Amino acid sequence: MYDFFKSELIRFRGWALLAAVVHLLALAFMARVVDLAQQPLLVHRVIGGVYALCGLLLGLYQMGTYRKPSQWLSLLHRPMAPTRVAFALAAAATVLLAVAVALPLLLVALWQHALTPRVVDLRHWLLPLSGALIATAAYLAGAFCSLRGWRWAGAALILLVWLLVSRAYGVGMIAVELIVLAWLAVLLRVAFVADLDAPPRGVFATAAVALPLQVAVQVLVLVVLFGLEMVWIAQGSHPNNTPTPPVGGHNEVEKMDPRDRMVAGLRGSHHPEAPLLREQIRLSDPEGLGVQVPKLPQYQELANFRPMEFDDGERRERWVFSHDDMRLHGYRLADNRAVGVLGIGKEEAPFPAVVLPGDGLPGMEPGDAVLVGGDTLYQYISAEHRVVPRVRVAAGETLMGGSPLGQGIGMLSDRALYFYDGRPLVEGHALMVPRLRVPLPGAMGDLRNLDLVELVDGHLISLAYSARSHADGAAPVQITLRTHDDGRIETVHTRALAYDYPPVYRYRSTWPSPVLRVATEAARNLFAPPLPLDVVRPAAIPTSMVWLAGVLSLLSFFGAVWLTARSQLSTVGRWGWVAVCAVIGLPALASLWLLIPRRESVEPLPLAHPAAA
Amino acid sequence: MSDDYVIETRALTRRYGAKLALDHLDLAIPRGRIHAIVGANGAGKSTLFRILLGFLPPTSGTARILGRDSQQLRPEDRARVGFVNEEHTLPGWMRVEQVRAMQQHQYPRWNARAYDDVIGHYHVLPQQKVSQLSRGERAGLNLALALAQTPELLVLDEPTLGLDVVAKRAFLESLMYSNAAEQCTVVYCSHQMEEIERVADNLIILERGQLKNMSAPEDFTARVALWVADIPFKGPEPHTVPGLLEVQRLDGLHHYLVLDQDERFADYLRAQGARSIRSMPVSLDRAVNGFLAKNHATPAAA
Repeated sequence: MYDFFKSELIRFRGWALLAAVVHLLALAFMARVVDLAQQPLLVHRVIGGVYALCGLLLGLYQMGTYRKPSQWLSLLHRPMAPTRVAFALAAAATVLLAVAVALPLLLVALWQHALTPRVVDLRHWLLPLSGALIATAAYLAGAFCSLRGWRWAGAALILLVWLLVSRAYGVGMIAVELIVLAWLAVLLRVAFVADLDAPPRGVFATAAVALPLQVAVQVLVLVVLFGLEMVWIAQGSHPNNTPTPPVGGHNEVEKMDPRDRMVAGLRGSHHPEAPLLREQIRLSDPEGLGVQVPKLPQYQELANFRPMEFDDGERRERWVFSHDDMRLHGYRLADNRAVGVLGIGKEEAPFPAVVLPGDGLPGMEPGDAVLVGGDTLYQYISAEHRVVPRVRVAAGETLMGGSPLGQGIGMLSDRALYFYDGRPLVEGHALMVPRLRVPLPGAMGDLRNLDLVELVDGHLISLAYSARSHADGAAPVQITLRTHDDGRIETVHTRALAYDYPPVYRYRSTWPSPVLRVATEAARNLFAPPLPLDVVRPAAIPTSMVWLAGVLSLLSFFGAVWLTARSQLSTVGRWGWVAVCAVIGLPALASLWLLIPRRESVEPLPLAHPAAA
Repeated sequence: MSDDYVIETRALTRRYGAKLALDHLDLAIPRGRIHAIVGANGAGKSTLFRILLGFLPPTSGTARILGRDSQQLRPEDRARVGFVNEEHTLPGWMRVEQVRAMQQHQYPRWNARAYDDVIGHYHVLPQQKVSQLSRGERAGLNLALALAQTPELLVLDEPTLGLDVVAKRAFLESLMYSNAAEQCTVVYCSHQMEEIERVADNLIILERGQLKNMSAPEDFTARVALWVADIPFKGPEPHTVPGLLEVQRLDGLHHYLVLDQDERFADYLRAQGARSIRSMPVSLDRAVNGFLAKNHATPAAA
């Protein structure tokens, strides 16, 4: 086995070293221009995509050269189990990819750590490992695809897609990468047999290939439906691009200006003050309250949603958040010299949650900055070189951001809207006390628009919960609340919005296979922390969609009975497949067709009559 | 099934779509000696080897190699079967010495002397890269590696294809004069009849997936004869000529290549109006080619 390992190292060592040098030069150039450790997620994804592409190409090429019948025979016809040969080839590729991918990353991280004042956290040291894991996983996928062709390829490629859509962070993401890597290694083991047309042997091997293949089919269905949607758009009848949006639906509300939207929110209201409120809306300038932290930063996440740094323009300093000690580390922009570490208050206490820079607030001096993390908004005071908490929402809530509202400011958490007076903000640095807390009547993931106007006595707040009404989110609704200075909160009107899309569109991820839908969501959320921003309150699945899924399962059942009758499956295997097809539906039927060959007949055919000698 | 046979198939059938590559093939190759397998392209030779080595499942029937079901071969079984293919697939990025060392580690019954004996026929340096070797040198290295494994059965699948005359001769000599080759059963697949005539003890002819002949090459040659007859006019219709493999009219004389015909064939020709008749033996090449060409497909209109 070691001989094969060594042989493959010899074969590709030149390419690996060349790739490592090119990679190192590219990273070194980028590190000169920017702080690589603070690059946003998109940059990490592009770089990770390049690593995956390299691994994929290596796998495709390496196995492509071996899979030719004569080469394959020479490779496997020897006193060595195919598993050991596969392991040797894969181990060599892993080492080569580690040299090409992980080593340059490690060297740049070492350089940044030792010779610059930039922050290098544990999460950055994990990046070389993550890069190597991604590249190796892609290599295994490439090798698998090369050996088994298009019929099986989806099983491996969809596991790579898992890396892209996983919601896990940091060490959790490394764990997902390891699971994907292990799964792909199992796939390669299943594929790496003398007969490259042989179906998987045994229940475990069959399940290992079939399950991701079924998910790939499910995704393919979505891609096809997406193509149909493009046709729909081109036709001009798609709700998003009709000349006038469908009446009473999400699109209509979305395209209104805030004033019209708030007025529309009172449509059909029998509240005694509704006419007056409409008039007040028309006379006012509605304000909105956005989210400053659209993606919550997570402890030791591998990539930032956006740079975790801000510049103090007065002092010409840059402050970068470090996950390792949960404090800010500063360095001078002029000479790159470290200027110290900042925590919370005079005690320089560590931040209890990862913070991201937010938008400025009224009354802030030049050089000051806002940081948002967990349930607290902090203010960096340039003049005092100090960070102090200014706003804290209720325990257990997550602060999303805030903005000025008239003379005061408003803050939005995942569960409530807070009103603060403006005076304490500009007159000191103390923790502010909210004037009013307004619980949100829906889930944050469903909230699409928040508009409000100031009344003589309080505020009128319009909330449109329709963010996921095009899919399986909450039933779209527009809720108008009114607050009073005495603290009373009343619901003025709840207006049900119409669905812009038919159920078959909204539940397109579900009806092909409800079971796979649940499974894929579970896979995406594996090792993922709770994400308050993404929480939705899904509406009940329409009965028509339940029936559709049921009919498809029934069709799948009969299809499986028909297909398996023409296969070489054993009785147990046959009925196992039939059961799986009935439970999972069409994707399982497709995987059955792709994986299990038809039984061949030896009956002589006219073309094959042997001639008599 | 018996261990007396290195290869034994029973009703072995392999279908590719509508085509039968092997058609209920019953083949039993005894231990020892050199067995040549010949057949036209598409006769099923490669399919047979792929099934025998466990790289392809049969549609039906059984195949055993060295007494073991070909679909159940273990690594230790593979150590007993050497295989040399026409492409001489060797890792081009490695040096000859590295390839030798790798094979030596993998094969427990490595015979260094056999390797040296064969490689000595070629001007191959240990430090040379395999990719730098000529095709003939690669063939020699491949043979040396295969024989040094001390196989009980050595399968050579058209090993001299694409080699020049000198390389071919070197290959055959290194095979014939190797002690290692004498101690194993060799199955030699080739289209080169002069090679088969030179090395084979047993001639196996496959045609359209069926066994058509298994005998000593000279016995097969004896079954085929060329009859030259001076027949005025057209001569008999070909389909009426018994055992006819091939008919040609050259310089006004009819040349009949026939199978399994004795002196009574002369009487037949006389009955067809032949004025003079001559019978002569043919080479193995002519005999096999005539045999294989007989059933070649022709366009329906021909």
